[in-house]
Amino acid sequence: MKNLDKERIRNFSIIAHIDHGKSTLADRILELTETVSKREMQDQILDSLELERERGITIKLNVVQLKYHAKDGQDYIFHLIDTPGHVDFSYEVSRSLAACDGAILVVDASQGIEAQTLANTYLALDNDLEILPVINKIDLPSADIERTKKEIEDVIGLDCSYAPCISAKTGLNVEDVLEGIVRYLPSPSGDINKPLKALVFDSYYDSYRGVVVFVCLKDGQVKVGDHIRFMQADTEYEVTEVGVKTPNEMKKNILVAGEVGYICASIKSIQDIHIGDTITLKDNPCAEALPGYRKMNPMVYCGMYPTDNNKYNDLRDALEKLQLNDSSLTFEAESSKALGFGFRLGFLGLLHMEVVQERLEREYNLNLIATAPSVIYKVTLTDGTVKYIDNPSLMPDSNIIEFIEEPYVRASIMVPNEYIGPIMQLSQDKRGIYKDMIYIDSNRNQLVYEMPLSEIIFEYFDKLKSVSRGYASLDYEIIGYRKSNLVKMDILINGEVIDALSIIVHRDFAYSRGQAITVKLKEILPKQQFEIPIQAAIGNKVLARTNIKSLRKDVLAKCYGGDISRKKKLLEKQKEGKKRMKAVGSVEIPQEAFMAVLALDDDKN
Amino acid sequence: MTTRIKHLYIHVPFCKAICYYCDFARRIYDEKLADKWLERLEKEISDSCHEQYETIYIGGGTPSCLSPEQSEKLLSLIYPYASEVKEYTIEANPESLDSDKILLYKQYGINRISLGVQSCYDELLKSLNRKHDFKTVEDKISLLRNHGLDNISVDLMYSLPGQNMDILKDTLNRLINLDLPHLSLYSLTIEENSVFGKKGIKALDEDMEADMYELIDETLRAHGYIHYEVSNYAKAGYQSKHNLGYWNYDDFLGLSAGASGKIGNNRYTNTRDLQRYINSDDIREEDLYLSRKDQMFENVMMSLRTIYGLDLRDFEKRYGISIQETYPRALKNRNLMIRNDRLICTNLEILNSVLLDFMD
Repeated sequence: MKNLDKERIRNFSIIAHIDHGKSTLADRILELTETVSKREMQDQILDSLELERERGITIKLNVVQLKYHAKDGQDYIFHLIDTPGHVDFSYEVSRSLAACDGAILVVDASQGIEAQTLANTYLALDNDLEILPVINKIDLPSADIERTKKEIEDVIGLDCSYAPCISAKTGLNVEDVLEGIVRYLPSPSGDINKPLKALVFDSYYDSYRGVVVFVCLKDGQVKVGDHIRFMQADTEYEVTEVGVKTPNEMKKNILVAGEVGYICASIKSIQDIHIGDTITLKDNPCAEALPGYRKMNPMVYCGMYPTDNNKYNDLRDALEKLQLNDSSLTFEAESSKALGFGFRLGFLGLLHMEVVQERLEREYNLNLIATAPSVIYKVTLTDGTVKYIDNPSLMPDSNIIEFIEEPYVRASIMVPNEYIGPIMQLSQDKRGIYKDMIYIDSNRNQLVYEMPLSEIIFEYFDKLKSVSRGYASLDYEIIGYRKSNLVKMDILINGEVIDALSIIVHRDFAYSRGQAITVKLKEILPKQQFEIPIQAAIGNKVLARTNIKSLRKDVLAKCYGGDISRKKKLLEKQKEGKKRMKAVGSVEIPQEAFMAVLALDDDKN
Repeated sequence: MTTRIKHLYIHVPFCKAICYYCDFARRIYDEKLADKWLERLEKEISDSCHEQYETIYIGGGTPSCLSPEQSEKLLSLIYPYASEVKEYTIEANPESLDSDKILLYKQYGINRISLGVQSCYDELLKSLNRKHDFKTVEDKISLLRNHGLDNISVDLMYSLPGQNMDILKDTLNRLINLDLPHLSLYSLTIEENSVFGKKGIKALDEDMEADMYELIDETLRAHGYIHYEVSNYAKAGYQSKHNLGYWNYDDFLGLSAGASGKIGNNRYTNTRDLQRYINSDDIREEDLYLSRKDQMFENVMMSLRTIYGLDLRDFEKRYGISIQETYPRALKNRNLMIRNDRLICTNLEILNSVLLDFMD
């Protein structure tokens, strides 16, 4: 398609609450447009990270170009930009939406709209996108199409009279979605004759071609040999390759306004690329840059340390590479008495943190110890200075603290009526302040609470799912800092404060948290050759204590001449296992121990 | 330069039945196959044995399951190397011992019997797939004594599925009443390739096992036994010389299918595949070069198992370096002490953890 007719391009995303069938619909669309042959087809084809397939979630946005021959006899080019569904990755969602003109909103007909259906729809509306609602999973016996349509109309205010009713799983009516895209979603508004204006929305590092930059061309065109300028970074490069993803990368001669593709320009330094930057031509620049993205600030911090101290530089290299592909990740060097040299990493949420740790371990072959996540506390000292503390062990001494503030969120919970009671109880236990209850339909309500972010990241979501048997859904937004009665609690193992285990707790919960943590640690820490006390303390005051009993027996029963090789291998295996732990003084501490400080009252609820 | 090899081990890879805990090289006894095996062993003996041995140990499998003719053949093959033997042990199962076999053993110089008893409870014996009862054990011990073979050791297992402290107490009483000079008590290890392992049987918990170990230690020591190795108890003077050779990390020659040997910086293991053993010239499954570091660690690993520990002067003589220079960090372990130039582990129950410190 040489003279690309803008009228026949559609750039869109699929947005949905997690598990409503977004990636499955993308798979069907790829099949129907014969973008991917049956032979190449596999489930969740756009989820190229190994981790995404394993977990059945989308973490990274992904983009693919499709060709569709519509019923009006015309050929269309679609750019489908797949997005993550989890609340942690809303940054990725907003990035992909900025590259689109329209969005398909997938709603599960058996579930109705959920918290993130709303959140993602509002993001799309903020980006002025046209939205096509699609009712999915109509093949399920529990599907209720009419109710779902009514919910969408009543709660979001979208007209559902043209909404395709489909089953992405079986492929039923998926063609209607493609026709809907042609008919109801707008074509890009850009002008091919204006100077180049391209939005950078993603990038990754390739060892042969340098940094590969994903762009959405708003105006103009770009081809190999062009000299381009990154307006925000103020850097210039010569283009060596352009192309589109189909979903494998396919080289092209030129990219024009309306297209979504990639650019390579021998960019060696990964720090030079800013997501949200605008690319233009050096000799014919556009008048002003695109607004770019709102910088997402990390919400959750944790320390990451290589179990082998010699791998510190490897970890730094890996973080630099990963950051290019995940611009919401932040890191800076820190050191811990217990763990040596490592980094303090900032994340958008707990899932994001887990994903980063797994990617570092798998893709960069590192063994890591992650400390318990913490939010960022705002501490006002008696002399009036204000400090931001993202590492509990760095909390100043309590006698020079005037007060501590912590981030609060506004949490929206959609919940079937029968679970309202337990959820209100849970929210109250997590220091939530009741704000509102919004009627959705005769079966469901939306609860609104204000509560500390730290309570949300410490297991609120898991508990929410368990008390509602999976039916409640959650979305939250940060609403600012509020004063709280907080204290630092230290954990002592064998009489020594383990700085990496320190946490900030609300004073009212300190005693029960201390109890829960010491008991949990006793279960997790391997028995040692001597009895070892575990204590939780605030300042010099010990709140809880347990002992890890000493190891009683591990010796091999039989060891004669013929057993030497075998027994030695057994010991070597045992030794290898210990390398996965961090030696702190004379005690070996496994990774789970650092997470145990989050493990709370399992007996409650 | 060849130093003298003092110890000879010969493996008999046949049994009448397979015990559920066992993953050794063994198969069901078959007369013709055993004849072929003996033929091959004859060649291995003539290729490998060049000297007189201080200790000889015929283990298995079940050496006593061989026919009288085969037993005689085996013993006659070893006879030329047994003229200076101080301790000559054969393993036997109670049900396969009779007067003829005992006389035969005596005739060829065997002076120690290691009897596979495993349990004093008929019910537990059944659960292990043993083919004898406790009455047979008592009868055969009398029979051995009547023939003047008093140096008897029995193997017994504890921490068995279904066993508790009361059963163990009673077992120990029965054992003490037998008044034997040597006892080996092994806690059950569930081996992956044993029947138990394949059935997914779980070991008793660590605390129970430790309680049992401690009860055995107290009880037997109160009755005059020396607890001289993790699992071995002896009346004074009856410690197994052959096994002390292993724990002293001495060189030893091991022959037959599934046997291992160590000579200087070489450790080999013969194939467990009986067909390959019989038909092939190359019978080595493993032929390892042991670096000085390997040897030092293995020496420590073996020697710390006994209450006599590691002879430090001997260590320095063997490797040309002192233990203090070799393992400065490991020696800080509070479960170790040095006395009379010997390094001794004072808490044998957790020897594994102590050994891990020697692996840095």
